Amino acid sequence: MTRPTAKEIKAMADVAGVPVDADVAARIANSIGPAFDGFAAIAGTLPFDLEPSTFVVVQTAKAKR
Amino acid sequence: MSTEPALMSLTSVAQAIADKRVSSREVTQSCLERIARWQPHLNAFMAIEAEAALKAANAADAALAQGGRRGALHGVPLAHKDMYYEEGHVVTCGSRIRRDFVAATTSTALQRLKDAGTIRLGSLQMAEFAYGPTGHNSHYGPVHNPFALDRITGGSSSGSGAAVAARLTFAALGSDTGGSIRMPAHFCGVTGLKTTVGRVSRAGAMPLSQSLDTVGPLARSAEDCAVLLGLMAGADPADPTAVAGPLPDFAAATTGSIKGLTIGVPTAFYVDDLDAEVAGVLDATIAVFKREGANIVQVDLPDQRQLTGASQLVLAVEAAAFHKRWMIERPQDYGPQVLMRLQNGLAVPAVSYLEALRWRGPALAAYLAAVSDVDALIAPVSPIPAPTIAESDVGNGADAEAVIQQLTRFTRPINYLGLPALSIPSGFTRDGLPVGMQLVGRSFDEAMLLRIGAAFQRATDFHDRVPRLP
Repeated sequence: MTRPTAKEIKAMADVAGVPVDADVAARIANSIGPAFDGFAAIAGTLPFDLEPSTFVVVQTAKAKR
Repeated sequence: MSTEPALMSLTSVAQAIADKRVSSREVTQSCLERIARWQPHLNAFMAIEAEAALKAANAADAALAQGGRRGALHGVPLAHKDMYYEEGHVVTCGSRIRRDFVAATTSTALQRLKDAGTIRLGSLQMAEFAYGPTGHNSHYGPVHNPFALDRITGGSSSGSGAAVAARLTFAALGSDTGGSIRMPAHFCGVTGLKTTVGRVSRAGAMPLSQSLDTVGPLARSAEDCAVLLGLMAGADPADPTAVAGPLPDFAAATTGSIKGLTIGVPTAFYVDDLDAEVAGVLDATIAVFKREGANIVQVDLPDQRQLTGASQLVLAVEAAAFHKRWMIERPQDYGPQVLMRLQNGLAVPAVSYLEALRWRGPALAAYLAAVSDVDALIAPVSPIPAPTIAESDVGNGADAEAVIQQLTRFTRPINYLGLPALSIPSGFTRDGLPVGMQLVGRSFDEAMLLRIGAAFQRATDFHDRVPRLP
């Protein structure tokens, strides 16, 4: 996963209906970039059948201890 | 009994009122007197409702005189983070946008405490829309740490941490989406319980992130947190995510010994780059657990940085979605830092957001496998004690997010995993600043954390230290 550039963020914000100027887009890129870096090793590796609801299944499974 | 009823614990004062050793009016008056002395220094309250509180206290006393004890906390005055809706009351959410918002309903958590007999002192300050970990608020000013007035309280439950620490309220509701209960508990020297996602209904609580938001108490002890959790937890028709099923006796859990329990210490991440005094408190805390008979083992955890990244992606998108309308219509009414952080959500593609949600199950499973041999994990809440208000006032500057992430790097992974965590006062720095440690448990095993926390508090007195006005 690559972090979005300020130019890409400006376009995304426009599409979202919350336009931002170039300075704000640059600040957003700097601010959210580390989150993409942190998740990079996971992005694009998840198995096909994995549902978000798996979290609840794991959470409510009986504890081992 | 203390000469100042406000200095009693929640459980003690509730029993004293029930036994008619002290009246609700005397207790409420004692809290109001402390509030009058401390509020000019702390800015902990958003609203103080003295007249209404005394009227409610009189009514509680009259009911008790006629044998009408409403519940376990009959006549106990409390104040809560100003994001819990209470019908007919202004709920600002720490914002300019909701400065005049009057709630039409009452939140389930708050209603359950009211049903137990509590009365309202007013409402407590907080970070704007609960989106800030320091205690700064550009609309209402920063909340000051009762142990050092030039220091931050932590946030977002800033007023809750300060008011409980200064003994202005016996306990307070907070909320924890990225550390917002544990941070003020750590910085202010009080006990804070971040509950498992799904343990307490979120109906009527201001939303920030539907996947990560949790409701929980800040109080003076694990025992007090246990009483509050027992009253609030459980299913709620108004919030389908609140899990049904039998509840443990949380209060009974606090009487248990920790002899023979196993407490894990992470080998990495949570012990990296710690302030020397925080590291010292961690070591001392572990020593107390050993002395009380617990086994201490090292635990290798999965890469926690990935959890932090996933947590940020989820929170950024969900917060932006909740706020989108106001971001379009009223951007000028947000504080600069909150608007900046809300705008972060615009930069996350939907596929990335959903990947972060899809990974949550396997990430939790991997974590639980790593801790399968321990009853709880011990870790610092934050790598540092409270910084000054001035040095942490980073606004929307280029390094603002980095400062925020540094403060919250030990809390965010736990939110992503939805796990419970109990922050307990564990020591003080040489300068007198509180330091808290978090006990992290398995999903829905708050009882274990409360048991360990209460045992630690029977062996130490950090939670009993009361700040003094300069």
